[in-house]
Amino acid sequence: MLVMRRRAGESLLLGNEIEIEILEVGPTRVKLGIVAPPHLAIVRKEVLLTRAENLTASQNQDPRVIAWLSRKLAPRHTGTVNSLTPLTNPPKNFLDSF
Amino acid sequence: MPTLTTLYFDQLEYSDDAAFQFAAGIPGFEEHTAFLFIQQPHTNPLVFMQSLQDPAVCFIGLPAKVVDSDYHLELSPEEAIALGMPAGETSRIEANLLSLVLLTFAENTEPVANLMSPIVLNLQTHRGIQAIQLGSSYSLRHPLVLEQAAACS
Repeated sequence: MLVMRRRAGESLLLGNEIEIEILEVGPTRVKLGIVAPPHLAIVRKEVLLTRAENLTASQNQDPRVIAWLSRKLAPRHTGTVNSLTPLTNPPKNFLDSF
Repeated sequence: MPTLTTLYFDQLEYSDDAAFQFAAGIPGFEEHTAFLFIQQPHTNPLVFMQSLQDPAVCFIGLPAKVVDSDYHLELSPEEAIALGMPAGETSRIEANLLSLVLLTFAENTEPVANLMSPIVLNLQTHRGIQAIQLGSSYSLRHPLVLEQAAACS
């Protein structure tokens, strides 16, 4: 990893087209200004990590795993959240068999 | 009343105003702009976040307070606007907000909860976002502690 020291107001270049300026240095955070071509997506790393985690979280789960988890969590049950989707028709209960 | 084919509950009837609008989707699912949040007695306190765009996309989550009773949410002004909250009232309206954390399952380990990127719902405006907690110490993969401590006598 290349390490470089810069002060507020100074900047650095990545290639010819990308400039990163240190705008402000606070006690815990720095404020950066970025100049880059519009086709380059600039995102915080946390967004990329969240995307990857969302993709994993969306994978279909075995109903048995869900049933097991529900049983484990039941003691913490704090009541239904009223405004969430009420089940207007009782669904075929996929947990009945467990 | 519209009917939706869901991943875990077969056909489900719902009213249009039950859906939550996610104007920008969530990272990785930008085209999914409306979700139903389904709870049912057998699976409480789990909440199923079912996409209206694709029956095969359904996340499983928990209210953040179930995982961490001290869970503290921070919202940026932009996020507050996306949730349809009145400007400058971010501190007072928490009562209308519900934070859910999404679960990830892996073989042979306890599920993990994404405390860093909660799904935040405004129960009044029915808008939702995934509010990444920048600068917090909340983990992307917080292990769920499932064994209940023995009651003290």
